[in-house]
Amino acid sequence: MTRAAADNIVEVRGLTKRFHGFAAVSNVDLDVRRRSVHALIGPNGAGKTTFFNLITKVHQPSEGSIRFNGDDITNEDPAHVARRGMVRSFQISAIFPRMTVAENVRIALQRPKGISFHFWRSDSSLSVLDDRVDELLAAVGLEQMRDKTAGGLPYGRKRALEFATTLALDPELLLLDEPTSGLGTEDVERIAALIRSVSANRTIIMVEHNLSIVARLADRITVLARGKILAEGTYSEVSTDPRVIEAYIGGDE
Amino acid sequence: MNAQVSLTVSDLQGWYGESKALHGMTFEVGAGEVVTLLGRNGAGKTTTLRAIMGLLRKKKGEIRFDGEDVAGRMPEYIARRGIAYCPEERGIFASLTVEENLFLPPVIAQGGMALEDIYALFPNIAERRNSQGTKLSGGEQQMLAIARILRTGANLLLLDEPTEGLAPVIVQQIGAVIRKLKERGFTVLLVEQNFRFASKLADRHYVVEHGRVIDTLTAADVAGNLDRIQSYLKV
Amino acid sequence: MMAFLGISPQLLFGQLLIGLINGVFYAMMSLGVAIIFGMLRIGNFVHGAQYMLGAFGAWYLLHLPDLFPGLGLPSLGYWWALALVPVAVGLIGAFMERVFIRRVYELEHAYGLLLTVGLTMVIEGLFNVGYGAAGQRYDIPATLKGGVNLGFMFLPYYRLWVIAAGLFVCALTWYIVERTKLGAYLRAATENPNLVRAFGINVPRMLMLTYAFGVGLAGLAGVMAAPIYQVSPQMGQSIIITIFAVVVIGGMGSISGAIFTGLMLGMIEGLTKVFWPQASTTVIFVIMVLVLILRPAGLFGKETASVHAANISMARPNSFLENGRLWLPILSGVGVVLPFLVYPVFGMKIMCFALFACAYNLIFGYVGLLAFGHAAFFGSSAYIAAFTAASWGFPPEFAVLSGMTVATVMGAVFGWLAIRRQGLYFAMITLALAQLVYFYALQAPWTHGEDGIQSVPRGYLFGFIDLEDTMNMYYFVLAVFLIGFAAIYRIGRSPFGQILKSIRENELRAISLGYSTDRFKLLAFTLSAMFAGLAGATKAIVFQIASLADLYFTTSADALLMTLIGGVGTLLGPIVGAIVVVAMQKEFATLGAWVVVVQGAAFVLCVLFLRKGVVGTFEDWLATRSESKRNAAGYTADLAAKGAE
Repeated sequence: MTRAAADNIVEVRGLTKRFHGFAAVSNVDLDVRRRSVHALIGPNGAGKTTFFNLITKVHQPSEGSIRFNGDDITNEDPAHVARRGMVRSFQISAIFPRMTVAENVRIALQRPKGISFHFWRSDSSLSVLDDRVDELLAAVGLEQMRDKTAGGLPYGRKRALEFATTLALDPELLLLDEPTSGLGTEDVERIAALIRSVSANRTIIMVEHNLSIVARLADRITVLARGKILAEGTYSEVSTDPRVIEAYIGGDE
Repeated sequence: MNAQVSLTVSDLQGWYGESKALHGMTFEVGAGEVVTLLGRNGAGKTTTLRAIMGLLRKKKGEIRFDGEDVAGRMPEYIARRGIAYCPEERGIFASLTVEENLFLPPVIAQGGMALEDIYALFPNIAERRNSQGTKLSGGEQQMLAIARILRTGANLLLLDEPTEGLAPVIVQQIGAVIRKLKERGFTVLLVEQNFRFASKLADRHYVVEHGRVIDTLTAADVAGNLDRIQSYLKV
Repeated sequence: MMAFLGISPQLLFGQLLIGLINGVFYAMMSLGVAIIFGMLRIGNFVHGAQYMLGAFGAWYLLHLPDLFPGLGLPSLGYWWALALVPVAVGLIGAFMERVFIRRVYELEHAYGLLLTVGLTMVIEGLFNVGYGAAGQRYDIPATLKGGVNLGFMFLPYYRLWVIAAGLFVCALTWYIVERTKLGAYLRAATENPNLVRAFGINVPRMLMLTYAFGVGLAGLAGVMAAPIYQVSPQMGQSIIITIFAVVVIGGMGSISGAIFTGLMLGMIEGLTKVFWPQASTTVIFVIMVLVLILRPAGLFGKETASVHAANISMARPNSFLENGRLWLPILSGVGVVLPFLVYPVFGMKIMCFALFACAYNLIFGYVGLLAFGHAAFFGSSAYIAAFTAASWGFPPEFAVLSGMTVATVMGAVFGWLAIRRQGLYFAMITLALAQLVYFYALQAPWTHGEDGIQSVPRGYLFGFIDLEDTMNMYYFVLAVFLIGFAAIYRIGRSPFGQILKSIRENELRAISLGYSTDRFKLLAFTLSAMFAGLAGATKAIVFQIASLADLYFTTSADALLMTLIGGVGTLLGPIVGAIVVVAMQKEFATLGAWVVVVQGAAFVLCVLFLRKGVVGTFEDWLATRSESKRNAAGYTADLAAKGAE
């Protein structure tokens, strides 16, 4: 492994995904630096979500390789990838609706304990996790709702709960798929603050449409268009890049 | 603006599950006009088209087409009233040949384009009529998706980002097609992010953000207000 | 060639011909099932009954003068039947779609299958009431009598006609679906129904016509089958399970795939009859197992979009009805006094089936997997317990343990196979695997075929408790039931149970949190099989018999029905369901064949109107009541506060 590789938590080479012969992602190379916030932006249909699904192994790439912490994960299944410390959120709030708020977070906390196959034990053995559950809920402002059924929460609170559940795994790499979509202004600010606060000691990759959030949070931005990388750099670099402006607003005929 | 109104949308609200996507869209399209909904990703443009077409179930507000409120109607009814829809993902059927895709939408009224005219407009499609629908290139699929709603006699065309993901030369061809459609008297409601493309075609632009219209510009306004438009759309 | 190693060509070609005929029927039937599934997303279990309707339709037309004497109706022969019956059966199908099936489109797939299982029981039950198990003769039409001697074999004209006509119908269907405008609508609507609607096509009507068409095909197959097989109420029952296996093997991806798979499997079945007659009934299921191992998506299958587990649990976790610590002592108390209130044997039967239903609830309710073959575990365990007790002199506790062990191992293997496919396929695979076990038990010498293993000694528990004494037996069963109930409750409330719940609620999310959900499903399935085995073995000791009925798919359906009536996923639902079903079977026992009709109707009514089941509905009612009480209390408090100002 090269020296440079050690500083990159994710290294993607030649990543391609074809659906029915149509390349949704084609030949993408991407390095994500450790402990950075890396945003993926681009017009609709640029392949952002597909790219996300590829690196979290929800989809199998047609070509190319994905390395995480130097290990090739191109052929691993999504649960394995998650156990390596790469955890994602979803565009539509992914919670367990008929479990309580606290139970939702506990599902994630319970995994590293290695007792998830213990069908003979009482679930009161999970109460050792309660302190951590409360901490995480407090971090997202849900401590008052710990015993409520998750499905009954307002949408913004569900997103917050999903966030807490993801954080419960203390992931090295956090992938956020449009964390602010569908939220009101107040909730957007709450989530933005959360992202900033958790970014201190981990890496975050996010797909995001809200460009003010991207401008504020992202260290580095990759612009995708038509499944390819169009530009990469800081916000001020990409936002003045004529190719990016063209992709967003359209080129001259 | 034309005297005759084709479509009026008033205070339209819409939801995907619990996530609210439309917060009171209001706009209108005159008969024979090309009108765009401009805006960034996630602004609610596609949702608006889906709501007009009856594909978004959870909604409130009024959608008047040729004077009739169709907001509560099923998609098959709305289609037969004369609205045709070309979805963002194009919706080319993989299990159908190009020709089968082309002939799928039933003719609902007189006045649709004749097959020869369609083939003249889209020569590529004529060449590949026996291929499997999804074997076409992205640009050809887009052409096919537009072509197949021209035969039916529908007058109002809803086109959702026809230039998405396409190379500049194809974008030009699609622009030419839309211009010809306008000449033939079609009314077009176009959803776009590609402003340069839209500005050359449309009579009017509605700028959409957070599920509502935040600005309106006529074709004449565009030249003097480029900065304003850029600020709505740019990165 | 092997074929000539002592095998006469007469036999070889004769069986190949029979195989080809069966293959034609398999092809026609699986074509209908595949088209219906593609469009409606309904696993049409009632297809077999609709095939039977076709055969009876032909028979009725022939016997019109006898059925309606005095009306002067003519007797309509085969050719009339061929023209009229498929249309009539198709119309019945359209009616069924309109009245029943349409109501479950928006629900979880599981309900579609359950609904059609219920409809099957009603239809087949009614014909059973009318005609019993005996078959009706239907003669080969005069024009097709006789045959031609090909030298190496005699070829009856009728069989030649069936093959030709069947192949023609298959080819025609292929043509309609793949080459016509109508077929283009069908294919497009299968891919993206919403967009097709947005083009102005009335998709709901198309769904009805598609269903009618698929059902009409089954009716046509029924008419063609009438002169070959006997016309009997049971004729559709075993063929539908075989058809499901065919569909699993072929995958439901393509029309030509369904036709080819059907024909091929019929021929293989025919060849097996020549070389290894005993295996001919199971060969298709064995092939299914091989295909699942080697090519899980099926021979012509396209990988289906990921279908998650069905979230159909009706339990409200906070309800006191879900509190096992409360209910275990209550059930123990009731169990102790029960034999003084009802016949102990009746109580034991309820407990055996309640335990069976609780075990089934573990996989269906807690995980959301529609397993449809739990009879395999219940029945196998019963056979093993009966055999070890009767032939090897095992004491009852060891007999029960042996049965349970076998059920557990089978559960692990079947689970490993079935979890490779999702959704409706999971149900079909478990059903087919259970049928494989059924056919094995039908033929194996140690199971004594139709007789089953009878006069099983109850023996002495731990060497000194005489279980021939009814009360001793009763309390043993009570202990087994309570242990099983408590264990299943614990599994549901364990760290493992939490993960099961999360899989049921949102499988994709559970995966993204790092859980390999298939492993959890497999363990849950194995545990469920183990407790089903415990129930089956205990039942064998109590009633001193293990019989084919324990292994038949109706036993799997019973477990489903009990869980559904009581409330899927609830703690007490399976028990309530078992009481209802066992009591119903007892009450209606004098009505004979009507029992099945009543059960089928219960199925249909539950799916349509009582999806929460008795317990689920009650829990809902309690929750709403306490909610409104709380609101009322809040309102009064508000008023009081205002008054104080």
